[in-house]
Amino acid sequence: MFFTKKKKIPRDPAIEHLAGIVGEKSILYKKEDLLSYDCDGFTIHKAVPKAVVFPKDTAEVAAVVKYCSAHKMPFLARGAGTGLSGGAIPLNGEVIISLVKMKNLLSVDFENRQAVVQPGFVNLKLTNSIADKGYYYAPDPSSQYVCTIGGNVAENAGGAHCLKYGVTTNHILGLEVVLPDGEIIEISENGLPDAPGYDLLGLLTGSEGTLGIVTKITVRILKNPEGKQTVLAYFDDVEDGSQAVSDIISAGIVPAALEMMDKTAIEGVEAGTYPVGHPDDIEALLLIEVDGIIAGIAEQIEEIMNVCRRWNVREVKVAESEEERGRWWANRKTGFGAMGAISPDYLVQDGVIPRSKLPEVLGNIRKISEESELRIANIFHAGDGNLHPLILFDSRKPGETEKALKAGSDCLKACADAGGSITGEHGVGIEKIEEMRFIFTEGELEAQTNVRDVFNPDGLLNSGKLFPTPSRCMDVKKVM
Amino acid sequence: MVDHLRRIQIQEITLKGVDIVELNEVGGGQLVLSEKYGNTGLSVVTPKSEEEIEQILRTANEEGKKISVMGRGTKRGYGGVKQEYDLVLSLANYKGIIEHIVGDMTVTVRPGTTIAGLQEYLKKYGQMVSIDPSWPEEATIGGVIAANESGPKRLKYGAARDLVIGLRVVYADGSVIRTGGKVVKNVAGYDMNKLFIGSMGTLGVISEITMKLRPLPKFESLVLLSIDEDRLEELKAFTVKLQDSMIEPVSLELVNPSLSKKLLDREEYTLLIAFEDVEKAVRYQEEWVAANKPDAAILSNLSSDESREFWKGFSVIQPNALKENEPADHVLATVKISSKNMQVFDILEEVRRLKQGNKAELDAHGGLGHGLSFIILKGPEESVTSTIASLRVFVRTKQGFTTIKHLPFELRKKIDTWHDNPSYFFLFEGIKRKADPKNTLNYKRFIGGI
Ligand SMILES: Cc1cc2nc3c(=O)[nH]c(=O)nc-3n(C[C@@H](O)[C@H](O)[C@H](O)COP(=O)(O)OP(=O)(O)OC[C@H]3O[C@@H](n4cnc5c(N)ncnc54)[C@H](O)[C@@H]3O)c2cc1C
Ligand SMILES: Cc1cc2nc3c(=O)[nH]c(=O)nc-3n(C[C@H](O)[C@H](O)[C@H](O)COP(=O)(O)OP(=O)(O)OC[C@H]3O[C@@H](n4cnc5c(N)ncnc54)[C@H](O)[C@@H]3O)c2cc1C
Repeated sequence: MFFTKKKKIPRDPAIEHLAGIVGEKSILYKKEDLLSYDCDGFTIHKAVPKAVVFPKDTAEVAAVVKYCSAHKMPFLARGAGTGLSGGAIPLNGEVIISLVKMKNLLSVDFENRQAVVQPGFVNLKLTNSIADKGYYYAPDPSSQYVCTIGGNVAENAGGAHCLKYGVTTNHILGLEVVLPDGEIIEISENGLPDAPGYDLLGLLTGSEGTLGIVTKITVRILKNPEGKQTVLAYFDDVEDGSQAVSDIISAGIVPAALEMMDKTAIEGVEAGTYPVGHPDDIEALLLIEVDGIIAGIAEQIEEIMNVCRRWNVREVKVAESEEERGRWWANRKTGFGAMGAISPDYLVQDGVIPRSKLPEVLGNIRKISEESELRIANIFHAGDGNLHPLILFDSRKPGETEKALKAGSDCLKACADAGGSITGEHGVGIEKIEEMRFIFTEGELEAQTNVRDVFNPDGLLNSGKLFPTPSRCMDVKKVM
Repeated sequence: MVDHLRRIQIQEITLKGVDIVELNEVGGGQLVLSEKYGNTGLSVVTPKSEEEIEQILRTANEEGKKISVMGRGTKRGYGGVKQEYDLVLSLANYKGIIEHIVGDMTVTVRPGTTIAGLQEYLKKYGQMVSIDPSWPEEATIGGVIAANESGPKRLKYGAARDLVIGLRVVYADGSVIRTGGKVVKNVAGYDMNKLFIGSMGTLGVISEITMKLRPLPKFESLVLLSIDEDRLEELKAFTVKLQDSMIEPVSLELVNPSLSKKLLDREEYTLLIAFEDVEKAVRYQEEWVAANKPDAAILSNLSSDESREFWKGFSVIQPNALKENEPADHVLATVKISSKNMQVFDILEEVRRLKQGNKAELDAHGGLGHGLSFIILKGPEESVTSTIASLRVFVRTKQGFTTIKHLPFELRKKIDTWHDNPSYFFLFEGIKRKADPKNTLNYKRFIGGI
């Protein structure tokens, strides 16, 4: 389209119809408007949608889906677009159903510890809305100030405090879902435990928007812990830091969070927006939080400090104020973005390993970095073995993007080979489709696509995500 | 009770190398499959390897035979409208720990391992599986997961769905898949573990289970608060206050007077408040309860040892299809109700109302932190069935779910033991069809006759 004419050209009948459902102000269909929807937080792959609609309620979502389904037009849901694996990218020129206008907190029931939200409600807003009464919503992805709870459900998002409190799936009590044919279903409408039948709540959570569109969510809310203390420990040796992680866990302590950063990551966060003055010559730091009944915290903190000392910590300290604690966390939670300060581009990876394999896998990642000649920073949830290698590259240099992708894939291979998984919280999307073969056999993939086909028989909803197509057979791993 | 036993026929299917045993021989003479609970079979096989499970399923599936899947059979009274299947596949002999990585706090076990056996083993390492289902000495981990069992500590521990990180499952056609993995955090592909947890063995036979572990609590205690039947409101006000405080009980289970009499010799409503933490934190919370309890409530503190002993007794209050000690003219039933947390009070009050002039005994308890109530009925058939019907009506008015977890086979033919089919029942049918198209596994055992 090289010219734009002032004269009103007749619109595509599909656009006409969709505009009729959601209203003229709630649809984008002009090329220039669609460009900002050509990718999500995974920016390496791009595709332009047919249109973006912004329904204001479940009925409109259902009407859009029914229309798309009847006309065999592909569609997908989108929250804030912070997904890091490309789940919201319209590979097939989908109609994007953006849930950002469905952003209300519908109700809070403190006595029964539940809240009901619309899918476009931003994660952090929930905690902020109930904080005055001393409650919070536990899953805390680092993107929580923008990402939506609908997107969290789709990705089964985690966060730093999931070590003790669990990930999104452990906090979802009920869902309203628009199925790919437009039918609206309510699973455990009142947020009750053990809904009869197969556990569809569990299945839908983490299904990356391929089984249905979530339009209402009942979540568990928790009472704030009575007390919290946060420890920062600097190590001269990554191995020592890893051993300290293991020993803290074996001591029978369940920290609320146990995070680690390596030297390159520290260089990044110190150059970023929230530096806290970490020394520039340490090899690793641990950020450890213990919460619960105040009377029990001091002895656990003491034990953690002792473990760190046993592993030759250079310096270990407890946050002295809420302000200091807040600064340490801001520094950690903005870690990904901070890489922008030391590299033109970066790719976030998301492998998981058994905790005991930490030193071995970090060693392998170091080798991958040397071989690819790309710097790799590691920021991760050490307590649950969820690594986030950040591969630093420059897309302007020819071939470097490909090299970064390859290095990312190699990191996942290293995790899979250590008995781990290729993703702990960011999802497969389009990014890790081929890597699914590192951990699943053809039969195991088929068991999953069989389930997808029950919900999404025509493959109109978010197709081309999660599962490699059988024809592109690579080395298929056998069941051991 | 020998006349109750279903004699075994010699099998039509030839299964090389697989034990085919007399029903009452399985698990060292412990497994007696009386006809009373249905879900029996013409023969019982007790495979000792995954290959044997594959072989049995493949053969049965090809020949159109129907299989009843079983651990040890404590839950044969749970669902199912078939008296007899062609074959009972018992996992009782496929047991043991496959891998325990102490530092990772994960364990992989075979399905026939009993809960008690597993906990006993883990104790040596200062670890546990955080689940406290009934009948731990007999219940197998496979059965607990397939039936999605949990206990009074679910408030803090979560349910089976919160602990399982990976499974191996043998499908009806004999193919094997792995779901999840061996790491505690994993979102690769669909969360297929969830599909099999609570599926009552209708989708596949679970042949291996990987779970995350927790450290054994450093200290534990149990505070009991008992209050007169007419003063339940005061206990309710206290519970609201406790739930709005920063106290972190592991269990907050309300017990009705008749059950409290059996457990504690106190015929009053009793609230069981359990704590697990470092000793200082436990003591602080005990003090909080003492300072905030209703004046009229009698308080007692059980020490660590006493509380463990108490929970042991608590774990065997529900009926178990392996035990049959009720008089012949009495029926035993367990009703499970899902409600909002605080509605547990309403349910226990309704139980009190239903007890008036009822020929059946009604023991009840419910979790104020998780919203599951259990009502154990014992008495003449007519009283038991009419009480179940009344409970159902009541629960409907509260938009809750009712499941009858234990009921003799003859009554299961008359009363649907599952909650009404949801509007999305067709999805269940679709899932079942893909996994087990010939209805080989636990046919008609589950909701809506799946
Ligand atoms: C009436 C009753 C009520 C109970 N209530 C509670 C309660 O409220 N809370 C609690 O925590 N515990 C409760 N229990 C105890 C509970 O822990 C069960 O005993 C336990 O779940 C059953 O274990 P099992 O091995 O005997 O199961 P079984 O009775 O042998 O099997 C239970 C179900 O699981 C299926 N199954 C078993 N093994 C497998 C496998 N490997 N793969 C696939 N499917 C399989 C069976 O086909 C069946 O559908 C109750 C027990 C009974 C009898
Ligand atoms: C800086 C940064 C830090 C991050 N940190 C974390 C972290 O710590 N932990 C973590 O888990 N993730 C993290 N993420 C990833 C991302 O924020 C999460 O995956 C988040 O859950 C995505 O939410 P969203 O609203 O942006 O969803 P989107 O990106 O819009 O969508 C993600 C997927 O969900 C689907 N979807 C969205 N809404 C719905 C719905 N209502 N119904 C059905 N499907 C839907 C989409 O189709 C898509 O497949 C981070 C991302 C960034 C950019």
